Amino acid sequence: MSPLLQRLGGDFLPTFLAGMAVNFEIAALAVAVGLVVGLPLAYARASASRAAVGLSLTLVGLMRAAPTFVVMFFLLNVIPRDAELFGIPLALSGVMTVALSLVPYSAAYAADAGVEALQQWRRGSHLGALLFLPNMTRAFFVVVMSSGAAAAIGVTEGISVILRQAELLPSLADRLVLFAIGIVMFGIPLQLGFAFVRRLQRALGSHMTRRQAST
Amino acid sequence: MLLLAVAPAWSQDKNAPDAALEQVLKEARENCAQPTDRLSKVLCGGRIRIGVRDFYPLFATREGDERSGYEVDVAHAIAKRLGVDVEFHRVNAASRIPMIGDDRIDLVVATMGHNTQRDGQVRFIRPHYYQSETTVVGPKSLPIKGWDDVTGRTICVTIGNGSNAEIVSQNVRVMLFDEAGVLPERLRDDTCVLAAQDDSFFAEYFTDPAFAAEFEQKFGFAQVPWGMAVARSGSDKLARALDLMSQIFHRDGVFLEFARKERIGTAFLEKENAIWKRPECNTDTGSSNPACVLPALNAELKPTPFVASVLAFEDWTESKLGLDVTLPMLKTAPAFSLFVNGVINSLILIAGALVATLALALAFGAAMGSSSRLLHWLARAVTVTLQSSPIVLTLVIAAALAHAIFPYSAAVAIGAAILALGLSNGSNAGQAIFEAMTSLRSERQLSGVNLFMHSLGRSATQIVAFLVNAAKGTPIASFIGAPELLSALTDVTSFSSGRVTTYCVLLIFYIVVVMGVVWLCNKLRSFLEHNEATA
Repeated sequence: MSPLLQRLGGDFLPTFLAGMAVNFEIAALAVAVGLVVGLPLAYARASASRAAVGLSLTLVGLMRAAPTFVVMFFLLNVIPRDAELFGIPLALSGVMTVALSLVPYSAAYAADAGVEALQQWRRGSHLGALLFLPNMTRAFFVVVMSSGAAAAIGVTEGISVILRQAELLPSLADRLVLFAIGIVMFGIPLQLGFAFVRRLQRALGSHMTRRQAST
Repeated sequence: MLLLAVAPAWSQDKNAPDAALEQVLKEARENCAQPTDRLSKVLCGGRIRIGVRDFYPLFATREGDERSGYEVDVAHAIAKRLGVDVEFHRVNAASRIPMIGDDRIDLVVATMGHNTQRDGQVRFIRPHYYQSETTVVGPKSLPIKGWDDVTGRTICVTIGNGSNAEIVSQNVRVMLFDEAGVLPERLRDDTCVLAAQDDSFFAEYFTDPAFAAEFEQKFGFAQVPWGMAVARSGSDKLARALDLMSQIFHRDGVFLEFARKERIGTAFLEKENAIWKRPECNTDTGSSNPACVLPALNAELKPTPFVASVLAFEDWTESKLGLDVTLPMLKTAPAFSLFVNGVINSLILIAGALVATLALALAFGAAMGSSSRLLHWLARAVTVTLQSSPIVLTLVIAAALAHAIFPYSAAVAIGAAILALGLSNGSNAGQAIFEAMTSLRSERQLSGVNLFMHSLGRSATQIVAFLVNAAKGTPIASFIGAPELLSALTDVTSFSSGRVTTYCVLLIFYIVVVMGVVWLCNKLRSFLEHNEATA
């Protein structure tokens, strides 16, 4: 049996699927925290206060410019392992570190999409505002793909499972086949997710068109 | 212990260390009325305070009041030879030197490597009682024999380990951990494929049949002699007595016997046993004979010419602003070199990623909008594949292919990263150009170069977004060994202090650079949109 088949024949699939579940967990955490941070910033940017608009634009600009990978290493190294706040341990797990490193991206995205949704809502286009949902779904899948960076800090997620198996394969051809399997496994939920987003956008769009025609 | 009791012919020679030791002890006992040296205090007080570790398997462990291990055996042998009781004190890597300085212990026997930096803090006993080396441990199935086989791989290490500087100089990536204790577990759960740590640390794990069946020591480097140590002041006679005792223990195989009993490596002790039997070493001056004793490890890194200014700045920020700023990347020559090269490589990487993204965006856009169905579907298939591949995986594939063609080098790693980032972002931007072409075709009946140029204006926002994304993605190139700033500063923190400041510097650098890229890209977008509007 070839080394590749030996690797695939063991507990590769369950381990990989468990790893992918971690990718989805990281993305869910990052998008949830991103919404909590991003929506008030969107509200501030859509407000009449120039100070609030300026502050929101500055913060979103900084978050947009912060590279996820650098933020991840920053969090990992700057927060002490034994840090506490009011007696509550602040030490971050690997999963939480990666999720928080993705928050600047998801929060900036939520702020941008939130501003657009608020403007649509104020114009009376409630369905237009609902486009916020497919936009955030798209962000979720982008974050799932970005969460593979967790492999760099030893978090066991889908990509790290593949890379560890690949390190033990002697031939390049075997490694490339394994990588191709990884792309297919990540590609299926991603393309399904994007198809769902497109369908949702189309459905909302046609609903809006029908409404406008009837009024 | 039988060996201790045997008084061989050596002791009858007046130049032998045995006679010299007897003389030193006799003189010290005579000073009990006014003991000035620690040796007199120990002999007259009837006890010696020895600092040992509480949990360093095979060397010094404690269960209740019971202590065991090689260093505990050595401590007991010393006390026995002095004819006093031993009083153990718990020390760790951080406390062992301050406890000697504060006179809370007389002697430390606690896995302490003898290097030139520590020579200024304590008086090391020579000959050394043990020698360790950093060993690289990995799965037996992995064919690794030396540095050439680990180039471009990741090795798990602990922060601050003295041998890290040598590891990073070999083009090896490091994954940092706070505690050595987690390394075996990280090897078992596959988080680490390779781990580097002191061989004395791994010794206990290799006594576990399950661990030994799966892993092996691949190769060793950075040998460090271990020394017992006493205070630099007021301990001259104690140090002299211990020097002589250490000579005798080597010559008579006492250290060797303890090592065999505790099942630790004996290669160094066997060599020392032979050395200290040699007539030129087996004398009362043997411990100061360079032909017999090992030199201290030179662990001092060459300082930068402006280190004094850096230290003054650090002091100023602490005194004036109350900020604990430490800038290790500016203090030593190797760290500064890594830092400067990291900045240069990061800028090259960013510029390369931007050019590659733009070029590939145009290529993908043109191919997808081509009248050739083959070219169109080929470009679409590649785009869908690249969209489905997480960027880390795309990078690893690019690196694997690059290293199959070229031997590993920093330039190859940077080139592979530029290609991967360009492909990943360029394909998405190319798709945006194609979608703009499709909409323009139906609206304005444009075709050829004219259509393509207009579609660039219409898709300018997306092109700019993917250019910024490419610039932001460059730090991930450190994952495949590209020596950009993140990689360089991780290497610097692996052998020096100041992690917090270092990673703050890193974050600020990238945010500033990416904001600069955003500004430039917005200029490009204005230009493209203006072109479309005026056409």
